[in-house]
Amino acid sequence: MYEKRLDNRGFDELRPMEAETGVVPNAKGSARFRIGNTEAIAAVYGPEEVKPKHFEKFDRGIIMCKYDMLPFSVPDRAKPGFDRRDTEISQVITNALSRAIRLEEMPRSMITVRVYVTQADAGTRCASLTAASMACADAGLPMRDLVAAVAAGYIGGSVCLDLTKDEEDLHDEGATDVPIAFLPSKDEIVLLQLDGKVGHEELNEVIKMGKIGAMKIYELEKEALRRRVSNES
Amino acid sequence: MINVKNFEMVTPGTLLSDEENGRNGTYSEGKNVYSKYFGMVQVNERGVSVSPVTSNYFPEEGDEVIGRVVEAGSKYWVVDIDAPYLVRLDNRDVNFRTEMGELDRFMSRGDLIFARVATVYVNNAADLSMKGTKYFKLPSNMIVKVDPTKLPRLIGKEGAMISLIKQETNCDIIVGQNGVVWIDGKDEDRAAAISAIEFIDENYFNPELTDSVRELLKNVREKT
Repeated sequence: MYEKRLDNRGFDELRPMEAETGVVPNAKGSARFRIGNTEAIAAVYGPEEVKPKHFEKFDRGIIMCKYDMLPFSVPDRAKPGFDRRDTEISQVITNALSRAIRLEEMPRSMITVRVYVTQADAGTRCASLTAASMACADAGLPMRDLVAAVAAGYIGGSVCLDLTKDEEDLHDEGATDVPIAFLPSKDEIVLLQLDGKVGHEELNEVIKMGKIGAMKIYELEKEALRRRVSNES
Repeated sequence: MINVKNFEMVTPGTLLSDEENGRNGTYSEGKNVYSKYFGMVQVNERGVSVSPVTSNYFPEEGDEVIGRVVEAGSKYWVVDIDAPYLVRLDNRDVNFRTEMGELDRFMSRGDLIFARVATVYVNNAADLSMKGTKYFKLPSNMIVKVDPTKLPRLIGKEGAMISLIKQETNCDIIVGQNGVVWIDGKDEDRAAAISAIEFIDENYFNPELTDSVRELLKNVREKT
């Protein structure tokens, strides 16, 4: 049984969060998102001409995300460059963002999103996705909605929100990690992965819990974007 | 039912109204109108619109733009107008007669031109045209880039702001609708004009922009 969380949080409580936009001056749009000890920086470039040319779609734009974990982001040094995990996460972020961005409005163009994880403590793909969607909004891209992503989980019979690395590693308790990304105002799920073992009904509860967390993140995203304008004035 | 107030800042996906009265910068799903951009809401009797904080230029027919020639082909020039893709200027769409294969005698790589977007195709490819007395090759090479969404502030009501800058600095200024601004004049005049334009780019939301720009230009002039 898992009755008290390792860091004394409530089961439906997120780690302390921080969000900021406009952190990379050379990019069209950029954002930083921190949740607990996980931090991601996203930068958006474009829309620009598609390269390589054969990726071009004549009726809509394409989006290319690159997720990268910096060598110093984890206790053991992460090897620089893209490994298999980076490629997978790049792909799921691309899929989630292409549901959020109205690509059909910019045919024959390409948007490049680069996400760097400067600190990793579980939930990096969710933090990356959140940062990337804020950066896209900052870049002035036409979007259906912002993306709010959070990891929920199921550990030893209780549903938890926003797992840390230590919690993810509680394999004896059957720790299950479920990263979920929502389009909050559309109530649409754009990313759902599952690592572990969980029953049908429990999974529904995990998703419900994830939604509560995502709404909180959504509020923070909106506030961060608004703050960017009021800072300028 | 309109859910937002005038001049409110909204993020993408905010529900604006459910009356099918969305205009620029919005999209609708069923009857609901949502914001498409991170920007400011404008509500009037015709509907709800959102003007984005930052924007990207996509060519539209009739836009008067400033572009840079990147290539002279045998029958057309390839021009960069700060859109996601390069556009073409056919040799039949200019005011002078050209011979095939020697287009770079008239305009070559690196030259700036003032032209009109003649046609935009379904896939967003566009053609330029320089037919007409308004359009010409620009003689000097000084340009500044401004976000297209801030151009209304740079131009001002009936051109008030831009003519103020022109008067105060004795510069020739042409504003392209793609956000490229061409400046010609003496070096110190140009510097003054550029500082004014950059000031507008940063402070476009300031309601007393004209006065601040006038003051800024006065300060700059006194220094030189």
